[in-house]
Amino acid sequence: MKQVVIEFRKVSKRFGDIAAVIDNNLAVEQGEFLSILGPSGCGKTTSLRMMAGFEQPTSGEVFIRGEKVTGVPAYRRPVNMVFQHYALFPHLSIADNVSYGLRQRSPRPSAGEITKSVDEALDMVRLGGFGKRRTYELSGGQQQRVALARALINRPAVLLLDEPLAALDRKLRREMQVELQNLQRTVGITFLLVTHDQEEALSMSDRVCVMREGRVVQTGSPRDLYDTPINRYVAEFVGKSNFFSAASGNVTSVRPELIDIAARRKDLPQGLAIRTDGRVLNRIFLGEQTEYRIASDELGEFTVVAPRKAEHLSGTFNIGDSISAGWRPEHARLLPDN
Amino acid sequence: MTKVTGHISAEEFLAQLRRYQKGSISRRQFLGVTGLGLATAVLSSAVPGFRPRKAHAALSGTVNFTTWPSYFAQENLDNFTKETGVKINVAVFGSNEEMLAKLQAGSTGWDVFVPTNYAISTYKELGLIEELDLKRLPNYDASTQEQRFTAEGVIDGKTYAVPKDWGTTGFVYNNKNITQNPTSWKEFFDLTQGPWTGRVMVHDYQLTTIGNALKYHGFSFNSNDEKELAEAEKLLIACKPHLFGINSDYKPSLISGDAWASVCWTGDATQLQRDMPEMKYVLAKEGGEIWSDFYAIPKGGQNVDAAYALIDYLLTPEINAKEVQAHGYPSTDSRTNKLVPKEMLENPILYPAAELLSPLEFGAAATLTNPLRAEIMARFKAA
Amino acid sequence: MQDYRHSRWITAALLAPAGVFFVFLLILPLVVVLVYSFGARAPAGGYEAAFTFDNYLNLPARGKAFFNTLTLAPLGTLLTAIAAFPVAYILALKTDPKWRVTLLVLIMAPFWTSQLLRYYAWIMLLGSKGIPSWLAYIGIADLRIINTPTAVLIGAVYGFLPLMVPPIYVSLEKLDKRLLEASADLGATPLRTFFQVTLPLALPGVATGSMLVFILLMGDYILPQYLGGGKVFFIGNALVDLFLQSRNWPYGAAVSVALVLIMFLTISLYMRFILSRTDKRRAALV
Repeated sequence: MKQVVIEFRKVSKRFGDIAAVIDNNLAVEQGEFLSILGPSGCGKTTSLRMMAGFEQPTSGEVFIRGEKVTGVPAYRRPVNMVFQHYALFPHLSIADNVSYGLRQRSPRPSAGEITKSVDEALDMVRLGGFGKRRTYELSGGQQQRVALARALINRPAVLLLDEPLAALDRKLRREMQVELQNLQRTVGITFLLVTHDQEEALSMSDRVCVMREGRVVQTGSPRDLYDTPINRYVAEFVGKSNFFSAASGNVTSVRPELIDIAARRKDLPQGLAIRTDGRVLNRIFLGEQTEYRIASDELGEFTVVAPRKAEHLSGTFNIGDSISAGWRPEHARLLPDN
Repeated sequence: MTKVTGHISAEEFLAQLRRYQKGSISRRQFLGVTGLGLATAVLSSAVPGFRPRKAHAALSGTVNFTTWPSYFAQENLDNFTKETGVKINVAVFGSNEEMLAKLQAGSTGWDVFVPTNYAISTYKELGLIEELDLKRLPNYDASTQEQRFTAEGVIDGKTYAVPKDWGTTGFVYNNKNITQNPTSWKEFFDLTQGPWTGRVMVHDYQLTTIGNALKYHGFSFNSNDEKELAEAEKLLIACKPHLFGINSDYKPSLISGDAWASVCWTGDATQLQRDMPEMKYVLAKEGGEIWSDFYAIPKGGQNVDAAYALIDYLLTPEINAKEVQAHGYPSTDSRTNKLVPKEMLENPILYPAAELLSPLEFGAAATLTNPLRAEIMARFKAA
Repeated sequence: MQDYRHSRWITAALLAPAGVFFVFLLILPLVVVLVYSFGARAPAGGYEAAFTFDNYLNLPARGKAFFNTLTLAPLGTLLTAIAAFPVAYILALKTDPKWRVTLLVLIMAPFWTSQLLRYYAWIMLLGSKGIPSWLAYIGIADLRIINTPTAVLIGAVYGFLPLMVPPIYVSLEKLDKRLLEASADLGATPLRTFFQVTLPLALPGVATGSMLVFILLMGDYILPQYLGGGKVFFIGNALVDLFLQSRNWPYGAAVSVALVLIMFLTISLYMRFILSRTDKRRAALV
């Protein structure tokens, strides 16, 4: 088993009457890229702030590299953070921002060492030569990279990223996702990312931890979470799914891309557990795939995603067309309805 | 004024506040600073109680009365307002030069002011004051005035100012703190630079401050001689670091005990001695100033009727006697003196012995406008 | 094009009041002062037309007043800033937001009473029966404060603190608190965070407040008159004397011109210094 870098042991945090984090037992492993995923108010940011040392737990203990750090202030913890809106120092140049952490050290590194490290860090985030500029002269994506360099230059035990891509536009976000992943592999530092964006979490992380109302619901690899969610909440939050009510508070969850469709029942593939007939209510053309909304008398409404590649078998459908649909038994999961 | 030992008492603070309200510091300044001036003006016109009574239907509004620190009986002013409905706005000044400067700059808004004898001829020459219509001052009687104090109010047979009172300029010292018994300006200024250091005040007023420094050297109180003035300036500048302050409103510092001695006018000495018998008033043996003050009406006054009414009221013997008892300066009017208590008439502060009076000099008109004196005073303050 | 002309008229109309104010109450009086400063004193005082440099040549006669003003005004400003900073800091960063407005208003509360009255209170507090008499109990005897430069400085800090706190408060309040966390996160102790982040970023507020206080102190005459007792003499007092006692208007005008020039010079130097030390864009916004 890999070494644990940060560990929560039964950590709870209350703000007055509000319980932000309840009995959290998170463990971050050396070298991994872990994401904490959840909607706003689920306690993910509070957890991150307790790791950084900005908040102290109401109860429970925090360990960094096996050492108990509960109560230790932020400036004495070997972790660094990339803030949501970067939090670059506006009165300092880019180089002075990046070297800030080194300059706090005692003994303080020599000016030559600092300059060398800053140049390396800026090169690493592809901002070589930007050192003399001011923060407001940089674009959002560039500021983001400065924030990364400013944190990574300290070689932290864990790099904490608080919704680092939220302020970027869609295209830039995609680019930064790839860049972050590459960076993490290059530097080999443990990354802990907090996000409400499931796509971000799934695409970048080795492991994802889903939180809800202060508690960890499920932790696992993105594929595990997607394929074997433990309840409707995780299934809903990680990817899209159709839910059909089942007995005793459970639901049947079927991913839309796992449903087969055809013009007539007899044209559906063999081995399907469920078959039903219905009408096309809506159709959204998405290029590589098409999303159909289907109304069935027995099952109600559900969504099907048909890949372009399968169209030569199933054909295409228009709104109002009759349609048959079905899925294999292993693709339907019986889950607790929260 | 309450005598206080130890720290500041609530009474003293209130007394200070009252002084402030009475106008020991300029009320006009105060009203200007706070913006209350406009508010009181609006109030006085809106509140029925402020309106003139029928007997004085012709009078209304406010009379702006410019005088010196602690130089009137508040009771008299209140009664005047009660009887006439005219509100009195008091402002106080520390020197004739300051008053002249204000009048020269124009638009003072003053209705009545109090110039000293030697300043009147200049005011007349510069056309800054009105000739007085004595018919409108029925309570003033020139024949009952002591002529040597009143003559300068009349120029070419025309009356420009009517006498208020007279007095002397000596010095006062607190003999609780001071063991010496100084009797001369020589001693006063020498002690200032010695054992009294940090405890002495002089007026913020060229005539008396420079005049007494001239007396130190035995020169005339009124000298405008360049060399003599230079000697006086040298003395003043040598004294400057030893002074407690330069202020014509010196009583508060003497009362609080911060200052032990000051150049002083008759009435302030009278007032100080009432509560603090340890305050000794000295007319220096070299001489110094004897003076009389007058009421006058500046040109361009807004409320001339009320100005005449106020002067006439204050010169009424019964009223004037109350004034004398409040401010402690001797009156020039024999009718008034008949109404003043005997112990005041016998008080050596008000009526010094003849041999002390004889070397005193009246201020000379030329000192008021002498540019060198003005500049020496300013340099002394700026030193 | 019609619209463009229209908007130009509106701009002109909006600028007119400020323009009129500027020309008639600032430029014209300054011109009058400048003209007077080359004139002569009339025999009984006032102004007489002339062209002479005597008034300027005579400026050294007020050297002490210039010296006092140019030492005590900056010192008073500095002390006020030092006293105001912790107040603003506690208000902006350590106070429950719901109390902030109340506390700010309380800081401004002394302005509701007359300035003269407050100085009168200080005359008594600093007089021998005030604070010195209390200090005498703990063995500090015969301490004289009133009518000294110290009294003037105390009065300056007391009187101008309410002007200094709000601008510093504003700059601290709008300071992004995450910057403080970022600093701590990067290993800076709270003290280093204060000097490396909080203080530099509050500098525009300190600059604004200092400018305000400095300008008022440079021209003040009431404070030195009341708490300096005519012994701590400022240029303002020299001017009051020249205009309201010795009636030497031309000399007074020359002293005024000198004061305006000195103020202009010191303020430009100061602004240049502050701008060089702060992010230019931020300073421009303050």
